[in-house]
Amino acid sequence: MKKTINIILVFLVFTVTTMISCTKLDEKLNDGLTQEQANSFGSPSGLLKNAYDQLQKTMVDQGSFWALEEHSSDELVGPTRSSDWDDNGRWRKLHLHTYDKTHDLIGTSYEELLILQYSATNVLNFSPSPQQKAEARFLRAYSMYCSLIGWGQVAFRSETETAAIPPVKKPAEAMDFIISELTAIVPDLPSRPTALASQANKDAANFLLMKCYLNKGMVVNRAAPTFAAADMAQVITLANSITGYTLTPNFFDNFSENNISASTENIFTESNNASTVSRNGNSVKSRWFMTLNYNHSFGGWNGFTTLSDFYNKFESADKRRSASYPGITNVTGMKLGFLVGPQLNAAGVQYVDGKGVPLSYTSNINISETVQPAIEQAGIRVIKYSTTNANKDVPTNDYVFFRYADVLLMKAEALVRSSASPSAPALTIINNLRTARGASALPSSLSLTDILDERGRELYWEGWRREDQIRFGTFLSSNQLKPSITSAKFLLFPIPDNDLSANPNLVQNPGF
Amino acid sequence: MNLRMIAKKLKYAVILFMLPFFVNAQQKTIVGKVTSEKDGAPISGATVTAKGSTKATKTGSDGMFSLIVPSATKSVTVTSVGYSAQLVNVGEDDIATVVLKASEEGLAEVVVNVGYGGSRKRDLTGAVATLRAKDFNVGIITNPDQLFQGKIAGLQVTSNSGQPGAATTVRIRGYSSLRPGTGQPLYVLDGIPLDGRTARPGFSIGGLGTTPEVNPLLFINPNDIASIEVLKDASSAAIFGSRGANGVILITTKKGTTGQPKLDFNYSIGSSTQFRKYQVANAAQYRDLLKTYNVTATDLGANTDAQSEILRTAITQNIGLAVSGGTENNNYRFSLNYQDNQGIIKNSGLKKYIATFKGQSKFLDTKKLGLDYYVSLSRTDESIVPVTNDAGFTGSLMSGAIGWNPTTPLLKADGSFNQLGVNALVNPLALLAYYNDQVNITNLFGYFSPSYKFNDNFEYKATVGINNQSGVRRATEDSALATAGIKGRGIAYYANNELNTLLFNQTLTFNKKITSNLNLNALIGYEYQKFSYKGTSVSGQDFLSNIPGYTNILQNASQSSILISSFNDPSSELQSYFGRATLNFSDKYLITGTVRADGSNKFGSNNNYGYFPSFAARWNVSSENFMSGIKSISNVALRIGYGVTGSQEFPAGSSQQQYRFGQQSLGLSNYANKDLKWEKTTQFNIGLDLIVAKRVNFSIDYFNKNTSDLIFNNPVPLPGPAVRYWVNSPGNITNKGIELKLDANIIEKKNFSVNLGFNAAFIKNEIQNLPPGNILTGVVSGNGLSGATAQKLANGQPILSFYMLDFVGLNSSGFATYRDDSGTPKTADATQYFVGSPIPKTTMGINLDVTYKKLTLSASMYGAFGHKVFNNTALAVLPISKLGSYNVDTRFLLPGENTGNGLAASTRYLESGNYLKMANMTLAYNAGNISMLKNVSLFVTGQNLFWITNYKGVDPEVNTDKQKDGVSSFGLEYTPYPSARTFQLGFRLSL
Repeated sequence: MKKTINIILVFLVFTVTTMISCTKLDEKLNDGLTQEQANSFGSPSGLLKNAYDQLQKTMVDQGSFWALEEHSSDELVGPTRSSDWDDNGRWRKLHLHTYDKTHDLIGTSYEELLILQYSATNVLNFSPSPQQKAEARFLRAYSMYCSLIGWGQVAFRSETETAAIPPVKKPAEAMDFIISELTAIVPDLPSRPTALASQANKDAANFLLMKCYLNKGMVVNRAAPTFAAADMAQVITLANSITGYTLTPNFFDNFSENNISASTENIFTESNNASTVSRNGNSVKSRWFMTLNYNHSFGGWNGFTTLSDFYNKFESADKRRSASYPGITNVTGMKLGFLVGPQLNAAGVQYVDGKGVPLSYTSNINISETVQPAIEQAGIRVIKYSTTNANKDVPTNDYVFFRYADVLLMKAEALVRSSASPSAPALTIINNLRTARGASALPSSLSLTDILDERGRELYWEGWRREDQIRFGTFLSSNQLKPSITSAKFLLFPIPDNDLSANPNLVQNPGF
Repeated sequence: MNLRMIAKKLKYAVILFMLPFFVNAQQKTIVGKVTSEKDGAPISGATVTAKGSTKATKTGSDGMFSLIVPSATKSVTVTSVGYSAQLVNVGEDDIATVVLKASEEGLAEVVVNVGYGGSRKRDLTGAVATLRAKDFNVGIITNPDQLFQGKIAGLQVTSNSGQPGAATTVRIRGYSSLRPGTGQPLYVLDGIPLDGRTARPGFSIGGLGTTPEVNPLLFINPNDIASIEVLKDASSAAIFGSRGANGVILITTKKGTTGQPKLDFNYSIGSSTQFRKYQVANAAQYRDLLKTYNVTATDLGANTDAQSEILRTAITQNIGLAVSGGTENNNYRFSLNYQDNQGIIKNSGLKKYIATFKGQSKFLDTKKLGLDYYVSLSRTDESIVPVTNDAGFTGSLMSGAIGWNPTTPLLKADGSFNQLGVNALVNPLALLAYYNDQVNITNLFGYFSPSYKFNDNFEYKATVGINNQSGVRRATEDSALATAGIKGRGIAYYANNELNTLLFNQTLTFNKKITSNLNLNALIGYEYQKFSYKGTSVSGQDFLSNIPGYTNILQNASQSSILISSFNDPSSELQSYFGRATLNFSDKYLITGTVRADGSNKFGSNNNYGYFPSFAARWNVSSENFMSGIKSISNVALRIGYGVTGSQEFPAGSSQQQYRFGQQSLGLSNYANKDLKWEKTTQFNIGLDLIVAKRVNFSIDYFNKNTSDLIFNNPVPLPGPAVRYWVNSPGNITNKGIELKLDANIIEKKNFSVNLGFNAAFIKNEIQNLPPGNILTGVVSGNGLSGATAQKLANGQPILSFYMLDFVGLNSSGFATYRDDSGTPKTADATQYFVGSPIPKTTMGINLDVTYKKLTLSASMYGAFGHKVFNNTALAVLPISKLGSYNVDTRFLLPGENTGNGLAASTRYLESGNYLKMANMTLAYNAGNISMLKNVSLFVTGQNLFWITNYKGVDPEVNTDKQKDGVSSFGLEYTPYPSARTFQLGFRLSL
């Protein structure tokens, strides 16, 4: 009997203690918010800033979507320099059009753009003000535009989408959506110059709309783009609505560390004001690190160059090609623009490369350099952004996405492409631009090639070249380092394997 | 109520009251004493069981026992660990004197820890390996996992780095985990499952990279460990449910010895040097190479050996003290340990201070109430040098030292450091001088465990345990250091992390002889454990002076450079119910069944509980009559088992939508997965144990392990908040293999004995059923190698197989060419192939003990075979194309190689990883008692004496963490902290 009582007691103790200590196993996030908590938190400003902050990784980093648009074009190449810059062929494959679905930068850029799209969309779930809502929709449209230009299809998840696997928008559908979004948000966006260029604004939305109308016929038929008169008319109308800007007298002020006030043509930028943001990783500083030799001026990684064919499109008087810049040239000896030939410091003494050999950038460039000193010195270097800050890692130059000069160039192109319009107004626009930049005026005729070349001279290394070359039909053409015409499949980037596997609604682009 | 009825009730009451006396009248008390045949000493703790009854008792410290038995009892059985069981007839006098003989089968009587209780070794149904303190590796033991390196079949311990106290990769029966930092076995210290992480804050320095992880077991004093048990198969590990899949290592600490207080003291001093240097050119060879290859480079006329400049002969001291004593019902042990372990790289080192107290008491007259308690307080001070896993093109300390051009001086004529600039290879001496990184980790571990023995059958035990760890890291880089972002600015980093574990568990055990030849041993239990991890960090730049140390004047930093960050991981809670039952039929047939239900708040809400069953059986063949005639083979046992275990090693919070805060921003950072659950491993095991000629202990096990529902960092169907999220991938990984263990007592004479131990494991690993995708890992680091990887996951291959360009040779111009699907080798952008596995097909250990009179020589070797190691160091730091600015390793040069040859991850740098290492050799002189001093022994130990390998790097055993996108890597070597060769002199004595 005692034994029975004992046994009962034993189980009683065991059961009671088990029940007392039994827990419901709810997980508390501690340093984050659950969906429910975030919903009740209700402030969309933090989410909107999160979306703006995504722009750096997506559009500014030297390995971002920017790199895809530049390396695959005729104005930038990342040569392999013996043991340096092979990087598993990532630069070379872009330039030679030999990339495939395993290309790492195509993969990460694809993903970063969709993360930006999501971050922007998610702002809409947090009861934003009309202006915040418009800003978020602008960032989403910008991200979708880049996805569309790159891959020709856009996985899209609306703010109310609940399906695990998001649907995919085909080119025409995606473009129509982006246009309708941008059109809808203009009234709610702030106006420049009240709003800083680093905030989404009316002009930025109209600028992107111009890009949309200009490329509308391209995205549906990349091999043979068409340009509807109505679309070109839209471009012209929109260009006329973007007012209050003038060409910045000193071209390089647009990219200086003081460009927030010095530039009179920046429409949309990323703020790098040191007192309000701290950017980790490769921000705007990568623009000089990626090109300069190790010990030259503010120093670099000795990487990317332009091609001499591209360089030779400039007149020598063109200030965009080369110009002294106060605070830089008088301090480091380096001019801005294109750097070729012996590189002297402010005292007139020639810089030396990493091996101690006097530094002189050569115009000759090969896709793979294997002989010194060409390994270090081959290729014309390109500098638009500059800094006088002793701390080269946290520069304050705002990074420029959209610029007024492009508005003028797009307007001129639309005028030329509109058969109904005479080319004279276009020529005026182009020549006004050229004159402002120190180049001579073009003769009376204006061809599309002239426009493409002028776009190159004005917008080099600003991330538009692949899109422009596809639109002008020169993307697949042979060029200096790409000996033959490449397959039409390269008009699109391949969808990365992992993403294709994650979203069955995607269809791999033809040929990949 | 009438009188009759009252009388009737009274009669019953009287009978009821008298019953115990009646019963007593039919019993008798047997008293006796149990002694050892060898020296006549009393044996305490021997079990005395009445034959044909369930009555049993244990002897006291004086060997005496007293047992009440039915009067009909004719004999009692006396058993004790290490002795042969003896049947003693008892007559009416009820007094027995029992003399026990030492058992030849002593090992079989040993009780081993199987988790939440013990089992006699001869009752084990699963694959459980045991190692006692006397069999541990000796020498400089910083981490407890070094104690059993090479000692246990199927258990591979790989040092991730040579830095004192560095983390190790421990794998039991192959590789099945894809998440970085996971796949380690569950460590259980005296019944408390450990977290497995540490509170050391991570620190990644721009350009220099990330320093390797520290070992999570550092807080345990190796001298405190009495034994370890390794639960290798699922039938034994299933009692640990969702954490048992990678095997379980149970660590049991020493308890107080009964009798007179005893003081043990040990001291050792050792000196360590680099085991093997990188073979780079010296200045004279380098000048010849420049001529031979016609490379123009500025010869600054120096003869620099930069490796020697940063290395030193390191001194290590170890002092241990333990006081123990007590009685049968109350024992204690107190221990202290101090270790000062200098690293072979200057400025690096580890100091440990550990104090522990363990006690066991029994209360009440009946001694049924027991209390075990343990407190351990430790502090480790690490001094870290910037030897990193992923240094970029300007290098880390090691790449700076091995890559340094030997014709360039490290110091300028004026004595200042010759720094080459922010975009050139870092000067290793300057880095050593200008980098300061100190970590202090304080750990408090303790438990309190009362138990109550209700009767001979039932015992209740509860445990409350805590493990609180706090880590502080202070790192600075002086503004004089010429590296990107630091030059002219300097940096200070201060961080504090806290890692806390709370445990409550209770078990109820039942042990009863149900019939004379059927015994039931059962256990039910409940366990709750909570883990939390949080921390804060601050960094700043642009200080006016480093004289006081930047971390002491954080307020001096420039406003724009200050970064503040904190985190507090979701608390993970685990709630479990478990049970185990073992049926023992006549000691011949044993059946064990276990089940554990694990609830974890980390699991998605659709999968809150996981269930982990297992079954196993054992047949003690030698107990069969037909074996009685066979004398040459004894202790034959056949074991078979099957079970399900799990792994839940994904970050807390992974199953939920998570919004995280950035600077003035908030964003969704994690994609919810309500289905997220444990990784599931099923394992079948069959094993045979036997002893040949009473001298050779032999075991063989076959296992087939299948890991499914892989915890995998899968791509999110974008657009989404992140690129990846944690899912249970449909893929599965199999590890099949055979383990052998042999312990041979080759010579056993009075003054001379030789013991040889051998263990080996042969494992085949494969991954299957992965969904389509391109999952690359094994990041290759170095200048010009961004985006390069060395490993890929693919169906039909071992996990983490090497996947890269296949080097064919040089073409006529001296450029490397690689095999290509086109049939013609290409110099660039050729096809990549699967070219080998980093996972050894065979691992083995050999242990030899020779004793002659008072001298003992022990040697321990271990090795791994059938795998490849990728030499990222040789590829990135020492290629011919860097001649003129970096040093080169001439062994990798090929005749006619063009100095402009580019770099690519290829089989040119993929080497055989086979090695056999003479890990430990110890000569001990056991002097015995010298006047007042007892058990005096002197020893000299050599560690890492030599190896047999064709690997050209510093150590094929080293494993640098090269994870990518949440997928782990294995078998890449990149400028690691070099391994040390150590000689050590020491003594032990007792008072």
